[in-house]
Amino acid sequence: MKKVTIYSTPTCVYCKMVKEFFKENKIDYTEKDVSVDDKAREEMVDKSHQMGVPVIDIEGEIFVGFDKDILSNALGI
Amino acid sequence: MYDLVIIGGGPAGVGAGVYAARKKIKTLLITEDFGGQSMFSPDVRNWIGSKSLTGLELAKILEEHLLDYKDDIDVWKGDLVKKVSKKSKGFTITTKKGQKAETKTILICSGSRRRRLSVPGEDKLDGKGLAWCATCDAPMFKDKVVAIIGGGNAGLEAALTLDAYASKLYLIQRSDRLKGDAVTQEKVMKLKKMTVIFNALTQEILGDKFVSGLRYKDAKTGKEETLELEGVFVEIGSVPNIDFAKSLVDLTDWNEIVVDHKTQQSSQAGIWAAGDVSDVLYKQNNVSVGDAIKAILNIFDYLHKNF
Repeated sequence: MKKVTIYSTPTCVYCKMVKEFFKENKIDYTEKDVSVDDKAREEMVDKSHQMGVPVIDIEGEIFVGFDKDILSNALGI
Repeated sequence: MYDLVIIGGGPAGVGAGVYAARKKIKTLLITEDFGGQSMFSPDVRNWIGSKSLTGLELAKILEEHLLDYKDDIDVWKGDLVKKVSKKSKGFTITTKKGQKAETKTILICSGSRRRRLSVPGEDKLDGKGLAWCATCDAPMFKDKVVAIIGGGNAGLEAALTLDAYASKLYLIQRSDRLKGDAVTQEKVMKLKKMTVIFNALTQEILGDKFVSGLRYKDAKTGKEETLELEGVFVEIGSVPNIDFAKSLVDLTDWNEIVVDHKTQQSSQAGIWAAGDVSDVLYKQNNVSVGDAIKAILNIFDYLHKNF
């Protein structure tokens, strides 16, 4: 299974949608809450060159926002 | 051929869909997603029947309610109407994915989207310090200087959300006073980190890789000033989603569809509109639902008389 990380904030709707999408498809993921984790916040900006959540890291490939088709493709589901 | 195509899946579109299905009007509903603009709200407290729910929960119950009638209504979710053309009898609708539908009548509930600044730097720095959702992205601006553009309710609420994170706040307002609710205005004026700048017309968002500043012009003196900051949140209202039918219906100066408020009928026979895309005075979820239902009842009568 691919290594998946999501950078999120607790109040962001698209973050919730991404996490629900992962759960529906039984994708294991690590969540980093950038509202409390300063290091994760920097990491997210470094990786994505932007400041909007959610950012999803799938085996080093970076995605910003929630697009079901694009994420499905990247996850091979 | 459909009797009716409903465009949009916000409260108006879903309300219309439920009523159309119950009336056994042969209907197709086309929407990119359910829920409308409240989808991004962290807490909706005025949706009648629910004391409190998130925008996402509202979107879910709307979709569930509509899909309860899935045997009586066709739904194209995940698609978007690109063009409406008038035929000798009825209309043809073309979607982004290239699907086509013929219909006798149309109810437009396509809502509105955020107004953009239309200044230099906006496109380049979008997402790079220029943000549109304080609820989502405020924590990214911890200990940073941030400006909010817009002194209406949305701008004031963004300011209150950002106060928990930013080191300093500016509120940029183009007129000489704030516009939001008095209670919220008071709260914002009391924020220790806050500087409100009135009569300020934003000219440019500055920055190379990320936002580094904002240039504005004083509307009274004409003098230009630059603020050094790392974040800009834009809350300057909305524009109706009507590009697909602009030439078919009469519009107000703000591109809202002009409707007869008794029936929701537009200037074009066979086309109705409800919700934020119409020239309704009060843009509210509950109002949109009521207006959409008015439209369905009128469409039902129209179909019986004309077809």
